[in-house]
Amino acid sequence: MALVLSVFEQGFIYSILALGIYITYKILDFPDLSVDSSFPLGAAVSAVMIKAGVNPYITLPAAFLAGGMAGLATGIIHVKFKVRDLLSGIITMTMLYSINLHITGGQANIPIFSDDTIFKLSPIRDKAGAFNTVIVIFVITLLCKIIMDLYLNTKSGYLLRAVGDNETVVTSLAKDKGTVKIVGLIIANALVALAGSVMCQQQRFFDISMGTGTIVIGLASVIIGTNVFGKLSFLKATTAVIIGSVIYKACVAIAITCGMAAIDMKLITGALFLVILIISSVKKGGAD
Amino acid sequence: MKKFTALITASMLALTMLSGCGSDSTADSASGEASAPAESVNVAIAQFAPHGSLDNCVEGFKLGMEEAGYVEGENVTYDLQNAQADMANANQIAQSMAAAKPDLICGVATPMAQACYNAANGEIPVIYTAVTDPVAAELANEDGSSVGNVTGTSDKLAVDAQLEMIRKFMPDAKKIGILYTTSEANSVSAVEEYKELAPNYDFEIVDSGISQTSDIPLAAADLASKVDCISNLTDNTVVSSLATLLDAAEKAGIPVFGSEIEQVEKGCVATEGLDYIALGKQTGAMAARVLAGEKAQDIPYETITEYSLYINSEALSALGMSCPDELKSEATEASAAE
Repeated sequence: MALVLSVFEQGFIYSILALGIYITYKILDFPDLSVDSSFPLGAAVSAVMIKAGVNPYITLPAAFLAGGMAGLATGIIHVKFKVRDLLSGIITMTMLYSINLHITGGQANIPIFSDDTIFKLSPIRDKAGAFNTVIVIFVITLLCKIIMDLYLNTKSGYLLRAVGDNETVVTSLAKDKGTVKIVGLIIANALVALAGSVMCQQQRFFDISMGTGTIVIGLASVIIGTNVFGKLSFLKATTAVIIGSVIYKACVAIAITCGMAAIDMKLITGALFLVILIISSVKKGGAD
Repeated sequence: MKKFTALITASMLALTMLSGCGSDSTADSASGEASAPAESVNVAIAQFAPHGSLDNCVEGFKLGMEEAGYVEGENVTYDLQNAQADMANANQIAQSMAAAKPDLICGVATPMAQACYNAANGEIPVIYTAVTDPVAAELANEDGSSVGNVTGTSDKLAVDAQLEMIRKFMPDAKKIGILYTTSEANSVSAVEEYKELAPNYDFEIVDSGISQTSDIPLAAADLASKVDCISNLTDNTVVSSLATLLDAAEKAGIPVFGSEIEQVEKGCVATEGLDYIALGKQTGAMAARVLAGEKAQDIPYETITEYSLYINSEALSALGMSCPDELKSEATEASAAE
């Protein structure tokens, strides 16, 4: 039972960042690598603020804003300086590594074991018991999903989707497609940093290396979610992404618990994804 | 409503997948709950990265347990997992281990120890090893006492002894180079200590920070050209690429001092340092005490108190150096050839 809970905890945390990656990768068709550093950015901001005695709930919007600024940087590098999408993400990711260390005052690891976190201060802590953590994370994830669904139905949201589908439409509406892209990158990285903040408080320490491979987890969640559940018309894409993230973490948990040799863990995880993707493409009647 | 049903179905699916797999491990642990030495116990070992020193820690841990009567395959079952230096995995491994409710969890290296302590939530004793600064990692209080159901061993380097040794080997040297990863908390604090103590022995520290393995060739070549010798830390990233560093030092004709026996075996000239197997043994002995009923909370963390001098004569003579006479009696040969 505790294992299942942990899968949902991890799955929901990573689904927040998967929602962000859904915007860049699926909607904007922009492979944004800056997330590998905006994830620890959110965690660094939160850990430093918590150490300074700030209410942990304030760290969530603070991390969100910090991530937004990282997205803004990637956006400006790409749109204004005309650097290729992949490279502009790499540039931000590289520079953020140092900035993250500056934020923490040079510390690569900040433990917050004895400090308040959003989970410690949760109003339902006594009633929910072991479910406290997963409920708090779920509420945050759900809020992100609902707000994102609402946003995608606004005028700005429609433009965002239009840029990914057909840039000419946006230009013909006399809108600047560059600005729309920047907005998308800001929201995406803000969500990723928010996930970093939640992660840091759940594991109760910040480590500079915690962002390594974030993009891979996010992309896998988005692709599993949209491939397996995207064709179910009653499920919104955002819901599919959240489920995808939980499935990803379930695959890792299976690889860990199945008693295979430690070195085979990544092999098993990869094989499980492959199986899921093959099954889903067979169901759809062949790969597209 | 339909959406809700779909979500439930999906979660049920995930549930069945997991429980099908995890059930055997939970069944084992239930039988081992009463932890008398005669009965079989389950110990989970979570290692942060595959790397020589940490492997030695785990090997030593098992030896230490064995000396205390816990023999693998007889009355102790190990579940060994390795996070492959990936934080996301480290966290999930720690949580899965805690979920299986073993009698004890051993976390190897700082981030893994922190993840295990967090996941165990005070319910399962956690023993850590290879944590350089347990106080900074908030696993121990300033006075060395434990912060909760957790204790272990520190692999703090003997910086002072190392500097003294280098001075004896190289009476005229001025600059010591140190290559380290800026993301590793242990290395950052070790570099600080080096800088603080170096003036006592008339040395100047030249540090070079890298962020990933691919930075090492350039950084090592640059550093080797600026200094009289290099002192290597227990930095995970640098140790994994020790050959590259040794290569750069060889080209520049300068020696590399190590910080533990394994590094000397690989080609460092000498170390006043750690033996991770001994550290692991010490940790295993502590784990056995906890399994026998002592509370982890009541055991302060331990450091290796005795460092020994290991030398590699082959590497020394290749550079036209030799072990100073005053150190010969205490030095142990640790070249790979033997």
